[in-house]
Amino acid sequence: MLPTNRYTSTPTERQRPRKYLKPWLFGVIAGTIFVLGEVLFKIAPPSAYAFCLSCHTRDLVNTIVNAVFGKNFQTALIARRVIMVTSPGVLLGAFAAARLTGEHRVQPSDQPVRFFLIGFAVMIIGLVIFGCPTRIVIRAGYGEFYGLVALVGMFLGILVGTILLKLRWSRRL
Amino acid sequence: MAERIGSSIFVAVVGVAIGFLAQRSRMCFVAGFRDYILVRDRELLLGLFAFLTTIWLLTSALYTFGVLEQRMPQYGELQARSSVAPVDRGAFPERLGDNLRNIRILSAGEPTRPISGLLGRFFYVSLAGGWLLGFLSVFAGGCVLRQHVLCAQGSRNSLLFLTGFYSATLVYYLVVFDRIVWVYQ
Repeated sequence: MLPTNRYTSTPTERQRPRKYLKPWLFGVIAGTIFVLGEVLFKIAPPSAYAFCLSCHTRDLVNTIVNAVFGKNFQTALIARRVIMVTSPGVLLGAFAAARLTGEHRVQPSDQPVRFFLIGFAVMIIGLVIFGCPTRIVIRAGYGEFYGLVALVGMFLGILVGTILLKLRWSRRL
Repeated sequence: MAERIGSSIFVAVVGVAIGFLAQRSRMCFVAGFRDYILVRDRELLLGLFAFLTTIWLLTSALYTFGVLEQRMPQYGELQARSSVAPVDRGAFPERLGDNLRNIRILSAGEPTRPISGLLGRFFYVSLAGGWLLGFLSVFAGGCVLRQHVLCAQGSRNSLLFLTGFYSATLVYYLVVFDRIVWVYQ
């Protein structure tokens, strides 16, 4: 291997993956923001509601539908006075980060129907049990019984799904 | 009014900040356990447990000092006690708005009683729903947060995931919601 001079920028050096934020640091920062945000900015009731992509998307869509078509679809109580723009915000923030670090790359879809159906099912399940995976973890952290149950169920589901993935790979190889 | 503006700005800023940080850390709440099973990579799983532990410690401290009210959203219990309008199947489209208004599952404002020995239906629904969320997310390659990040990075698969995700909201409230009230009783 060639000795690398840190003051020259070779093409390989420029393509080296950038330094990533450690996931545990993300966990600590996000957890602190969510809990303190609920206390300081009154994102309640319901409690443990500072971040949820399913529920906030539901609130956003239903607020717009109620305003435009005069319906009375269900929203959380907090959504009567706050507009929940979490999902567009996440898209915007991730887009900014991807653009700033040059990781934005268009990848064409190979299985459109499958991904559409999975997204559809995930939203419906998330609305039934009140939470996307993120909010399930938040609810479990709050000590809510059903949140803990859903978290255990989620781990079991990941276990079974991963075993199936492994089996499929080994059969193909 | 000031509080309302503050809350709105908070929600928007949190969305952007979490999106930015999630893109930088490649955080996913499903891929952690999956990667641990597949290749014994512990990094993302550590992120999940750091998240869980941070929230647990902070809320415990806030409960202790009385800053945060211990008002757990026990949805099943609340639903059982609040007045639910009987679902009138004959007048489905007309009565939809009234039914929706009377079902107040999400208002966790009332005090809830502790869980008794009997487990309600919502226990099994939570378990099965969590199971399905994990199972399906493995086949989509990431949890909902990760799909948002991937979509912003340019993955068209994730864009279709989000299309299904958004369109399911209206389908749920137009078709499904009225018929699964028994889940919460």
